[in-house]
Amino acid sequence: MPYHEFECSKCIPERKLHAVVKGPGEDLTSALPLGYLNTIPGSISERGCAYCGAKHVIGTPMKDVIHMSHGPVGCTYDTWQTKRYISDNDNFQLKYTYATDMKEKHVVFGAEKLLKQNIIEAFKAFPKIKRMTIYQTCASALIGDDINAIAEEVMEEMPEVDIFVCNSPGFGGPSQSGGHHKINIAWIDQKVGKVEPKITSKYVINYVGEYNIQGDEEVMLDYFNRMGIQVLSSFTGNGSYDDLRGMHRAHLNVLECARSAEYICNELRKRYGIPRLDIDGFGFGPLSASLRKVAMFFGIEDRANAIIEEEIKRWKPELDWYKERLKGKKVCLWPGGSKLWHWAHVIHDEMGVDVVSVYTKFGHQGDMEKGIARCEEGALAIDDPNELEGLEAMENLKPDIIFTGKRPGEVAKKIRVPYLNAHAYHNGPWKGFEGWVRFARDIYNAINSPIYQLSGLDISKDEIPTDVGFKTRRMISDVNLSEEARKVPGCGYTGPYDIVPEIQKRNKAYREQQLKLAGESTPAETPVPAEAAA
Amino acid sequence: MAKNRGGVINPIFTCQPCGAQFLSIGVKDCIGIVHGGQGCVMFVRLLISQHLKESFEIASSSVHEEGAVFGALRRVEEAVDVLLMRYPKVKVVPIISTCCTEVIGDDIDGVVKKLNEGLLQEKYKGREVHLIPIHTPSFVGSMVTGYDCALLDFVSYFARKEEKPNGKINLITGWVNPGDVTALKHLLAEMKVDANVLFEIEAFDSPLLPDKSAVSHGNTTVEDLRSTGSAIGTIALNRYEGGKATKYLETEFNVPAIIGPTPIGIRNTDTFLKNLSKMTGKPIPESLVRERGIAIDTLTDLTHMFFADKRVAIYGNPDLVIGLAQFCLDLEMKPVLLLLGDDNAAYPNDPRIKELKDNVDFDMEIVMNADLWELEDRVKNKGLKLDFIMGHSKGRFMAMDCGVPMVRVGFPTYDRAGMFRHPVVGYAGATWLAEEIANTIFTDMEYKKNKEWVLNVW
Repeated sequence: MPYHEFECSKCIPERKLHAVVKGPGEDLTSALPLGYLNTIPGSISERGCAYCGAKHVIGTPMKDVIHMSHGPVGCTYDTWQTKRYISDNDNFQLKYTYATDMKEKHVVFGAEKLLKQNIIEAFKAFPKIKRMTIYQTCASALIGDDINAIAEEVMEEMPEVDIFVCNSPGFGGPSQSGGHHKINIAWIDQKVGKVEPKITSKYVINYVGEYNIQGDEEVMLDYFNRMGIQVLSSFTGNGSYDDLRGMHRAHLNVLECARSAEYICNELRKRYGIPRLDIDGFGFGPLSASLRKVAMFFGIEDRANAIIEEEIKRWKPELDWYKERLKGKKVCLWPGGSKLWHWAHVIHDEMGVDVVSVYTKFGHQGDMEKGIARCEEGALAIDDPNELEGLEAMENLKPDIIFTGKRPGEVAKKIRVPYLNAHAYHNGPWKGFEGWVRFARDIYNAINSPIYQLSGLDISKDEIPTDVGFKTRRMISDVNLSEEARKVPGCGYTGPYDIVPEIQKRNKAYREQQLKLAGESTPAETPVPAEAAA
Repeated sequence: MAKNRGGVINPIFTCQPCGAQFLSIGVKDCIGIVHGGQGCVMFVRLLISQHLKESFEIASSSVHEEGAVFGALRRVEEAVDVLLMRYPKVKVVPIISTCCTEVIGDDIDGVVKKLNEGLLQEKYKGREVHLIPIHTPSFVGSMVTGYDCALLDFVSYFARKEEKPNGKINLITGWVNPGDVTALKHLLAEMKVDANVLFEIEAFDSPLLPDKSAVSHGNTTVEDLRSTGSAIGTIALNRYEGGKATKYLETEFNVPAIIGPTPIGIRNTDTFLKNLSKMTGKPIPESLVRERGIAIDTLTDLTHMFFADKRVAIYGNPDLVIGLAQFCLDLEMKPVLLLLGDDNAAYPNDPRIKELKDNVDFDMEIVMNADLWELEDRVKNKGLKLDFIMGHSKGRFMAMDCGVPMVRVGFPTYDRAGMFRHPVVGYAGATWLAEEIANTIFTDMEYKKNKEWVLNVW
């Protein structure tokens, strides 16, 4: 039987259908856990709400927007400054958050007047910002405030501003995933097609489902620029509100996180005939294939190949240095959504680690299908894991490391399992060729930490060597390495602490130059090579 | 004055359920159930976990769409059952309401009664289980009032009057850090005062042990809570975080009450020790005279040379802000702007605020119902000059963009290492605060080349 029953969950038998072990030769269709069902109350699940799925995950990465939540102050406060999605707009979207601060009297008498006052005050406080997103919350949904009507009213009175309304209260659906869906559809319904973008290339894409965690989007944008492809908009990491209103003019939607943003791609296909291409920016193999696929669509494979060749030549030796030292390390791959399948096979293929478990908090069955298809035999797949199941799984599987969120990471710490932040990254970006080496570096550092090693010693009982003054990570990692492998020169990652500012500068300059060129003549026939842009 | 905008730009506080949740983790064998959407728990756990760099358990009733439409009490019943089945040690389960479930009018008192008479009798007979309804609608007050209300609910649920007083005092700490609890327990030990410390969160500075056995949890027990009614007195350090429960114990069980002052700085710590002495009859020992002397020695090195007339803005929990402002004045500094982040109607009548207004000899603004924009706007657009800011981590970008150095105090302080370990109360707190302020100013002087050479000889 593929289903796995946790000891701690025997008393809630419905949980049994939410975990499977991928047995040898197991037919995938019989080993698929249930997914995206209502959470069992009191189980201490890790799921969030539909408001956060809309506002916190997808809405807020937009960089030139006043992000206002219509409700009591908590929803706003709690989802503020807990992400690492940066932007080239001085991180405006991280720095400022707005709440209408609904109080009891508003619950009784309505808060539409309060909302309007808030909108006007916010635009007044930030006169340079002319765009706003208003997020509904549980409270404003339940009292029935008509946010759309107020937004329309203000837009009529203030023609220079534009307001997007996202009605996704926290209780909408089993998890944050419901909010992803709602904001996708709301954006295409309300905003796409409302701005005619300037086209600067023969090859035009939207880069969708990418949230610029620690600069991921900038890394990928750089590759697209070097291929002469115009990225019309990024949905939504480092994305600009007005760029995203022009999504309808792209030739292709390049989709990164199919969990959170496939909806808008599917709608763009239906309404505007723009095809969807799923890609994957993680790992040398998947990233290379992705760049080639995009290039192939436009018939410019040679450009993709040139980039891939150059990058792999530069970074492969450093990745291999880590692979040699990470071979056979056991990983619990416990992220939120798409990393489940983006990482499941490639960390095994390219870093040598063994994935012993995958889980998803808010994923659907389709996500699990992809994840389980890609991970190794014997792996335990868990849907909507809860606190006790996570602990039980770690105790049984004895992983060398887990990739998960901050708070579950604290749980792992106490039972001596090192953790990496799968959502926000430790020292990203992790996308791109160099980024992938940075990920390997973070895994290696966590596993071979001298302090982690010391944490297992009991000075009251254990033999403690008294003639050792220190250990380096390498003294720990190379103990069981073959003589031959030890001789291979290198020392792992050689890049700087922050690689993003340079790329950001290059990307900005490229965009400005392209717009200038387009302003002067017809769309550029020949893309400008990256060196020139740099 | 109160801010004259309707909304909030960059809030100082989150909402009431967070206060109730923070309180609940201070109780042993307690897991709260937050009745509302899942985000109300997930983000609050993340927030507290970021602050303490620890994990702990709080459950959700996971209200989804049909619950919001048709009522979700069934989900509370299910949550209680699932929680009790899977956590056999759990005894105390506060049911914490949110805006969502208050708006739809879910009767959590009714469901507790139903569970007490039904499920607990049928399925959990013989097991000690306390279900405590706590009403914390997010559209009332803030996390501070949520903490205060939940504290009252816990105390009024458990407190009993025994025939004989238990010989202890109740020390209600308010919203503090593990390091504060350590400092307070140290003072109590020096005074040889037996105290019931509510809520005992010292163990949240917990170890990583080779046998993997460490778990972070609160240490206030059901017995501790029960015996609050038999104490010889209650001292609540904070007026707004424990004041309600202190008054309750006084009126209900005749437990003498002293509310405040928050023992931040030398003077307030002196008062606290005098109050302790008065309540228990125990003298203040020589050891504390010496400890006080070490703190004063430290402050003397810093005050006139570095602190005099330094202009500071302070935001955060009200008792903390007021206590820090008082200490800053003793250190010869000028707290020019105090920001209290909610609309508590009691602030204007707070005698400490009146005292500040009546006695400071410079322009001091106290903004109520404030947000962080009130601070940023004054610095960026209205010419307010500041030498430093004291407040929690949510103001980090504001401080950086204003070019003003910031001392992290209060909750949350996730962007600095180990802040939860350091006390702000007691003589130890006074020393740490003064040194932290000094070193923050020194680093800023060096970074900005502002008389940095002064530090050559000191």
